[in-house]
Amino acid sequence: MQIKLKVFRYLPHTGKKPHYDTYEMEVDPNDRVLDVLEQVRADSDPSLGYRRSCAHGVCGSDAMRINGRNMLACKVLVKDLNSTQITVEPILGLKVLRDLIVDMEPFFDHFRSVMPYFVNDDPIPEDGKERLQSPAQRDRFDDTTKCILCAACTTSCPSFWANGKYVGPAAIVNAHRFIFDSRDTAAAERLEVLNEDSGVWRCRTAFNCTEACPRDIEITKAIAEVKQVIYSGKIE
Amino acid sequence: MTTNTRTIQKPKPNFETKSWMFMRYSAILLIPLVFGHLILQDVIVGVHRIDLDYVAIRWASIGWRIYDALLLAFAFAHGVNGIRQVLNDFIQSDRGRKIMHWGLFLLWLIVTAIGAIALIGGVRPIS
Repeated sequence: MQIKLKVFRYLPHTGKKPHYDTYEMEVDPNDRVLDVLEQVRADSDPSLGYRRSCAHGVCGSDAMRINGRNMLACKVLVKDLNSTQITVEPILGLKVLRDLIVDMEPFFDHFRSVMPYFVNDDPIPEDGKERLQSPAQRDRFDDTTKCILCAACTTSCPSFWANGKYVGPAAIVNAHRFIFDSRDTAAAERLEVLNEDSGVWRCRTAFNCTEACPRDIEITKAIAEVKQVIYSGKIE
Repeated sequence: MTTNTRTIQKPKPNFETKSWMFMRYSAILLIPLVFGHLILQDVIVGVHRIDLDYVAIRWASIGWRIYDALLLAFAFAHGVNGIRQVLNDFIQSDRGRKIMHWGLFLLWLIVTAIGAIALIGGVRPIS
């Protein structure tokens, strides 16, 4: 099929202002948007910059705005866009470094602020083996273990666009993963961070994050559950 | 198999925590207050029949005055708190936020005071 691909371009070293380049291309309907970008790099413009790594929806490198919605370029097929016009732009709310590459540091700063790691300083169990957990206890936070830190959620959030200090949905999802883990003991510390001005209360339940998540995590629900714990002090 | 409920040391409620809860509780109160008001004024009475006489009759009852006072206080505070939260996204300096918070509080106070004066004073013929 014939498509018209419009790509946001910004190459700071050239001194040119940000602009859009358009490419008329012949592609297979089953091609992914990432394949289309690879084709541009191979056939038309090797200077086109974007992040990619595994190319199978696991590493979370290639989140970008495709026809106005945050998606992973490696997960969306051309035919599923239902259009012969495809516009690809960098995710919003983070500084563009080059073409489709944004500065992810503020995003990871927020991620780090919620202590996204397992904490338990209690003595190890007597048998010296594992800290046991029932299947139900494991299921409680299963959904939020799926996050791949692609930033599609945080950069689709209007509260984050307006205020970059907001920790954002991805950080809250990763806090949720440990807060609801029955073996973890640092929930109170994480909740202190999330109770600050830049924490969960900035969430307006716009649901953009849930819609944008390529892993189908119920993000807005997870945020609501964290709010509930802050308010009640009960982790159920 | 069930998950166990754990109780943790919850963070000390701050202004944002309280204002978030206020939005929820005031919204619950607003459901009967606003819908009651709309059904009565717009459907049962009808907007074209609301005049000074009607208001005088309505406010002759202390119950309706309390109802209107609650509606004014909660609806307006709910709205002002919403504006505050939205503006908080865009005003990021502490000083700017302080000015905005006080400005909105004064706006709420003045409008509520005007409403309260009307509610307490009632309807009197213009001499």
